[in-house]
Amino acid sequence: MADKMQLCNISANNFEQCTKCSICTTVCPVAAVTTDYPGPKQAGPDGERYRLKDPAYYDKMLKLCLNCKRCEVACPSGVHIADIIQRARMKAGEGKRASLRDTMLANTDLLGTVANLVAPVANAALGLKPTKLVMDSVMAIDKHRTFPAYSRTKFETWFKRHAADSQEAYPHHVSYFHGCYVNYNFPKLGQDLVKLMNAVGYGVHLLDKEQCCGVALIANGLYKQAKRQGNVNATSIRHAVKDERHTVLTTSSSCTFNLRDEYPAVLGIDTSDVRDSIMLATRFLYRLVEDGDIKLIFKQDYKHRVAYHTACHMQRMGWHLYSIEMLRMIPGLDLVVLDQECCGISGTYGFKKENYERSQAIGSTLFKQIEQARVEVVATDCETCKWQIEMSTGVPVENPVSILADALDVEATRKANGVKD
Amino acid sequence: MRMDTVIMGGGLSGLVCGIALAKRGQRVAIVTTGQSTLLFNGGSMELLGCVDGKAVTSPVDAVAALPEEHPYRKIGAERIADLAGQAKSLLSDAGIQMEGTATANHWRVTPMGVAKPAWLTLKSHLRIDDLDKLPCKRLALMCVKGFFDEPNGMLANGLREMGFDVEMIEFTTDDITALRRSPSEMRASSLAKHLLSNSSLQRVADEINRHAGNADVVLLPNVLADEDSYETLQSMVNKPLRQVATLPPAVAGNRMQSLLRHYFQMLGGTYLMGDTAVGGTLDGARLVSITTAKLGDMPLKADEFVLATGSFISRGLVADYERVYEPILDLDVDADADREQWTRFGILEPQAYSRYGVKTDGDLRCIKQGKTIHNLRAIGSVLSGHDAIKMGDGTGVSLLTALAATQSILEK
Amino acid sequence: MWPELISFATLNALFMVTNEVYSTEYDVIIIGGGATGAGTARDCALRGLKVLLVERNDYSTGATGRNHGLMHSGARYAVTDGESASECISENMILRRIARHCVEETDGLFITLPEDDLGYQRTFVEACQRAGIRADVIDPAEARVLEPAVNPELTGAVRIPDASIDPFRLTVANLLDARLHGAETLNYHEVEGMIINQNRVEGVKLLNKRNGEHVEVRGHVVVNACGIWGQRIAEMAGVKISMFPARGALLIFGHRVNNMVINRCRKPANADILVPDDTVCVIGTTSDRIPIETVDDMRVTREEVDVLLREGVKIAPSLATTRIIRAYAGVRPLVASDDDPSGRSISRGIVCLDHAQRDGLEGLITITGGKMMTYRLMGEIATNAVCAKLGNTAPCVTATQPLPGSEEDAPSQSDMTKRYSFGQRAAIGRHGSLAARIEKDNDIDNALVCECEGVTVGEIKYAVNQLHVHNLVNLRRRTRVGMGTCQGKLCSCRAASLLGELNHDVRGAQEDLAAFLDERWKGMRPVAWGDTLREAQLTAAIYEGLCGLDMAVDRTGKEDVQ
Repeated sequence: MADKMQLCNISANNFEQCTKCSICTTVCPVAAVTTDYPGPKQAGPDGERYRLKDPAYYDKMLKLCLNCKRCEVACPSGVHIADIIQRARMKAGEGKRASLRDTMLANTDLLGTVANLVAPVANAALGLKPTKLVMDSVMAIDKHRTFPAYSRTKFETWFKRHAADSQEAYPHHVSYFHGCYVNYNFPKLGQDLVKLMNAVGYGVHLLDKEQCCGVALIANGLYKQAKRQGNVNATSIRHAVKDERHTVLTTSSSCTFNLRDEYPAVLGIDTSDVRDSIMLATRFLYRLVEDGDIKLIFKQDYKHRVAYHTACHMQRMGWHLYSIEMLRMIPGLDLVVLDQECCGISGTYGFKKENYERSQAIGSTLFKQIEQARVEVVATDCETCKWQIEMSTGVPVENPVSILADALDVEATRKANGVKD
Repeated sequence: MRMDTVIMGGGLSGLVCGIALAKRGQRVAIVTTGQSTLLFNGGSMELLGCVDGKAVTSPVDAVAALPEEHPYRKIGAERIADLAGQAKSLLSDAGIQMEGTATANHWRVTPMGVAKPAWLTLKSHLRIDDLDKLPCKRLALMCVKGFFDEPNGMLANGLREMGFDVEMIEFTTDDITALRRSPSEMRASSLAKHLLSNSSLQRVADEINRHAGNADVVLLPNVLADEDSYETLQSMVNKPLRQVATLPPAVAGNRMQSLLRHYFQMLGGTYLMGDTAVGGTLDGARLVSITTAKLGDMPLKADEFVLATGSFISRGLVADYERVYEPILDLDVDADADREQWTRFGILEPQAYSRYGVKTDGDLRCIKQGKTIHNLRAIGSVLSGHDAIKMGDGTGVSLLTALAATQSILEK
Repeated sequence: MWPELISFATLNALFMVTNEVYSTEYDVIIIGGGATGAGTARDCALRGLKVLLVERNDYSTGATGRNHGLMHSGARYAVTDGESASECISENMILRRIARHCVEETDGLFITLPEDDLGYQRTFVEACQRAGIRADVIDPAEARVLEPAVNPELTGAVRIPDASIDPFRLTVANLLDARLHGAETLNYHEVEGMIINQNRVEGVKLLNKRNGEHVEVRGHVVVNACGIWGQRIAEMAGVKISMFPARGALLIFGHRVNNMVINRCRKPANADILVPDDTVCVIGTTSDRIPIETVDDMRVTREEVDVLLREGVKIAPSLATTRIIRAYAGVRPLVASDDDPSGRSISRGIVCLDHAQRDGLEGLITITGGKMMTYRLMGEIATNAVCAKLGNTAPCVTATQPLPGSEEDAPSQSDMTKRYSFGQRAAIGRHGSLAARIEKDNDIDNALVCECEGVTVGEIKYAVNQLHVHNLVNLRRRTRVGMGTCQGKLCSCRAASLLGELNHDVRGAQEDLAAFLDERWKGMRPVAWGDTLREAQLTAAIYEGLCGLDMAVDRTGKEDVQ
């Protein structure tokens, strides 16, 4: 005991390492647009000292936190400010029921399952003015929002029908945590990943059992459910990593961040034994290219001007450089790296009526940058950023994996990597 | 990932070094834990402000008399003027327009109304060349109502002691009043975000024009986000407008940091904010790679490395119950072994810890267990041998050692 | 809003009395503005006496403000000193009623560690029962659940009614009540000498330290309530009291690791109590006999820090990795027993000396010994002695009448949660029902000055206008400004500006700011490593580097006692 005396400072989420320098408050997108939110320093480390004394010091305005983690990225002292706030919200919310709206928004997979069955109807209904007005007034989902379109076929269904059988033939193998967005809204991203990985000799496999990663559940205070689903995912991932020796690839920055960092920090699910094996596809590919294990050959005639937007959770993970470097490998791609700003949507946050204006105000600097960049496409690793940017700027947004798949000369790449047809 | 140079620390010295290298075509990555102490900078750079408690008039001339262990002596007193010129033009290239010269200090005015020697000061800030010949007489000090991070009374008092006539004018506008609804978030940086639009600035201008009739110069706390806001407000006000630094987080420092970062990224540099270098692999006398908290098992490899991690505040140095050390590579440090010696009784006395830092050779190369690491140079506040607080040389050491290290790296 | 007990105007009128108006004659003059002096002043005032209290520095600068902040159940003394233990438990129960806003009812544990003799537990529990202190032996497993910070290796635990108390608030509340009942209280007034006429003390000679004036005030009885400094006061009157200064050092940690008081169940020794106080926790104390000449040197040594840490981690292992924000020391006023001619034996209990009986000197009473815990009882005993001399027969009511801020119908913290901002709630925690007097009707009054501790502009205005605040250190004691983990880094400048404005003395505010930062540094220096050193460097970077405060003020050779 004595040999460790005062050699380090261990406190929950490092809140004691705060030197009150207030740098976090300069980057908080919420405090910048509303005086209702006390700011990350007050909500986080300052408030925490009082909450330790008496939980009654909890401030309900903490619900305005986007959990974008920009404060943590800016903190020079390594304080997990947003985690402190999430933990406090979680504690204060214990035993309380979430509203119907929050439950609906948070259950991205439940909503998705239903919507897939009736996709054409659902899309029409979710897009119809009367429906939107009902949602606006009854559900408090802002009428300006367009729900992302639901696909008629789930990714999982497509995969089982069209891809699963051919995967075993490849020399190398990975598992894929596709997430709700790929499964219900945009199977094309999953298909692009399969196309890309197959081209370099990797077979793609689904997990035994995948549930929504829970990022939206956490944001909406449904911690119990998040934990339940998190445990299911952790078990599936552990099986893939330990038994199958697979790396588990992802294409969504928020899912990745949630699986790797929020599971232990917020939900208390220990994933340390498999954390290093969960990674974004761009990071995985980057390493293979760098080590000379694979070659990527791109189409000669591919020519596009693309802006890369670093999603908040991407920035928090520190992995944007892999997506950027991968995009830079495409010879015909003219890349503009945007200054890192929050788009304002933060998952389900911007969908809520009470947050709509704040959400748009937060994103305004980014939207201006995108306008000025004069690009055809914005690349980002986060699906909710995609919705927000598309809605707010009209510029189409793609995941880097889709851009890579699109630019890839599949035949030439397969040949260069010795992949047989 | 392979780079030409990897820089640990993304504050003033790290960014300037990164920019200088990227300009010469190098592939550079900067790893930085978070924002830097540049965010406490009120809009001035100091080369050398004070020696033995006396204000320095010409930094270039005073350098020769510094003790040998001072970083300026290591890079060579004769190079100071040249490097200082380079630094000023690099800042200007990044969009940071400052005035001043290395041969003659001017005076900046602090939030507490103290005149301190400075080398460069932002064009939009109050600057006095000669305290015996004040540039003007009557000042209107615009005090933002409800804003507590500018000690206006002390500022006015100090300016009066310098010989100015100061009229304090408290004002507010709708935007400012609305912002004060937050009990905790009314800082210079939040004001800056709310004083961006022309209409917001016009409301401030109206207040200034209404009340500052008599003044030669109008002073405003540094709450204008950038050059554009300053120019816009200046164009709306019929008198010269100057800003004065506030308590941190400082708008000017924030702006400088983001301009430097933007410029570095524009030059193709990779800026990894929110990540921390946690260790490195040595091969004999060379550093091969560094690992970071977030990149995990994919270390950053490079030919050259630069340590720009700052002092204790930035955790470039760590003091614990037992010792002072450098946390990434456990490099040799200049520091007292006995904890009692780190500090002095009075808070305003010179503190021994201020001079602590990593040991370096004449080429700023770091040393581990007595052996020089040939491709690792230390720059900025992590260097030992000077007391930035008492000597007023912190920003100067950061800028000049960054450029000196850049030259050494490029000469290889 | 709860009923206004006294009108705002009345209170203002009472507290706007400037320090420099003196009556010529008082029934009683009390020397010493610690808890004992304040408690005596309150009691005397409540019994209708015309009272003056003088304090050479700020209120509660001596032992009152330099202890654990522990509201003893008495259990600690049960084995060694049953009488003190009984006094403690009875006062403990009284304070829970009359000083609600100063007390946090945490309860406490007495734990036995593997290195301790578990057999002592039985002796301890029996002694507690004899003294009337409830002591429940509980299973170590239960103790670990009740207080997760406790050393998990404990072999025994006893639950007792310890609590935590804020001595600054307690003292101010007593002074407030004294003033409400006509007393005058003056801080920064040092006694320079006694006015003695034919074996009778008739008053005191005072130095007003704020303006350098010398004043004489007369009173029928003078009460010496100066703690360890009482020996000097006695000397001025030509009588001798032998004090044995026992110095104790303590460490403050950055946040609470524990929510119950934790004691070691063994004979009292170094660093065996960990107390949760407001937003922090405090480990202490060491115990060293020191020469009386050194009682003003409160600097904590490296050895004291080492001992406190070494022993402290045995109580709560997490202290080894928790940030320490300050170290401080105080001096217990132990008194030689009058019945021991050698002067070596020490009386542990309350000592009330009527110097007429003891030394043939009329008009002087010394009240000393005792503990912060028993301040009220000491006040009662001293007041009884005063009244006996003056022929006053009014009964003592201090045990039943709540202190200002702690009235029965004052709102509880949880009532407040829904309605008020963080700063307002923190203020209610500090001032109880008196928080109603803090202006909160506009955004500026609600703005936070100290963000660590939630102190608003309104609270500072209240403290300056009504709680005798002349400088930042006073302000800190009344409000907790600058007591958070950053030790005043950003707030002290804001607070200094505000004080300068309210007192129309900007230049003085700048000097005061430097003195305040120096005072904060004094406590940080012995523990200046890790984040505390980072904090200090940042403070230096802001106040010296950025602001040039070191060039604006000259502090060479200045050592303030505030």
